[in-house]
Amino acid sequence: MQQQGSKSGSEMEVTWEDQQNINTFSRLNNRFHDLDDEIKSAKEKCDNLEDAGNELILADEEMVRFQIGEVFAHLPRDEVETRIEDMKEATCKSLEKLEEEKVSIVSQMSALKKVLYAKFKDSINLEED
Amino acid sequence: MSSSSPSGSGGELTERRGIPAAKFIQDVETYLSQSGLDPNSALAFHQERLQQYKVVEMKLLAQQRDLQAKIPDIEKCLEVVATLEARKGTGEALLADFEVSEGIYSRACIEDTDSVCLWLGANVMLEYSCDEATALLKNNLENAKASLEVLVADLQFLRDQVTVTQVTIARVYNWDVHQRRVKQVTPTAIAAADS
Repeated sequence: MQQQGSKSGSEMEVTWEDQQNINTFSRLNNRFHDLDDEIKSAKEKCDNLEDAGNELILADEEMVRFQIGEVFAHLPRDEVETRIEDMKEATCKSLEKLEEEKVSIVSQMSALKKVLYAKFKDSINLEED
Repeated sequence: MSSSSPSGSGGELTERRGIPAAKFIQDVETYLSQSGLDPNSALAFHQERLQQYKVVEMKLLAQQRDLQAKIPDIEKCLEVVATLEARKGTGEALLADFEVSEGIYSRACIEDTDSVCLWLGANVMLEYSCDEATALLKNNLENAKASLEVLVADLQFLRDQVTVTQVTIARVYNWDVHQRRVKQVTPTAIAAADS
């Protein structure tokens, strides 16, 4: 992301407040990208747990091999079902929180964009390349 | 609006854990005259600073990746110990399939037990009671999470300094271009006035 003044020759005053706004925008942008990755992996985990739950319903066995850490433990079906439900709930909740954070960051970023473009007009570029 | 002092505004850190802060310049002209640098030297100085920041950023990112891999590991261990502890009273053995080599698994029968062995690294493995193991693992997890937090804060500080330096480079460059333009215009104006 380019943030340098690109208009040559113009004498643009940059105050400490402007610098802090630019810094905040940069932080928000980084956090936004990190969040995107986290949301992607949380969604994937949610889908996998969903698939696992479905497989469990279709499977006939009483003892299911459930991964705990690095090993596959033989657990009774009910226990596995409960564990998968708990994991799904936890993952969905954290996914919700991540989505909420993303929405708030997007709105903060657009507010900052307005302020910075108003001050610097063409001298600043806040878009993704 | 612009003060004549080139120092950073009060209340900000001058450095954080070995990373020097980038001073914010209120006015380019004052900064250049006070430091005695010509624009090119100033630009070179700030470019070098930027490179140094990048090197430190690489190092911190590598540390962050390590910690982010370590934390799920510790959580997995905690889960295993918790499962064993839950089984303690029942007296039934736990059957577990574990990987012996790539694609080859073997079955283990884990009897009711009070103790687990924890791998501490450096070819050292210690036996702990389930409670002690849980306490130790929880402690390690807390430490790892705390270190990660500090690291993330360091990275944010570093990125701020990178941004300040980039903006400073742009401003010095623009100021220089502006000065050259003004100098070009002035001789022509004088020549026109003379004729």
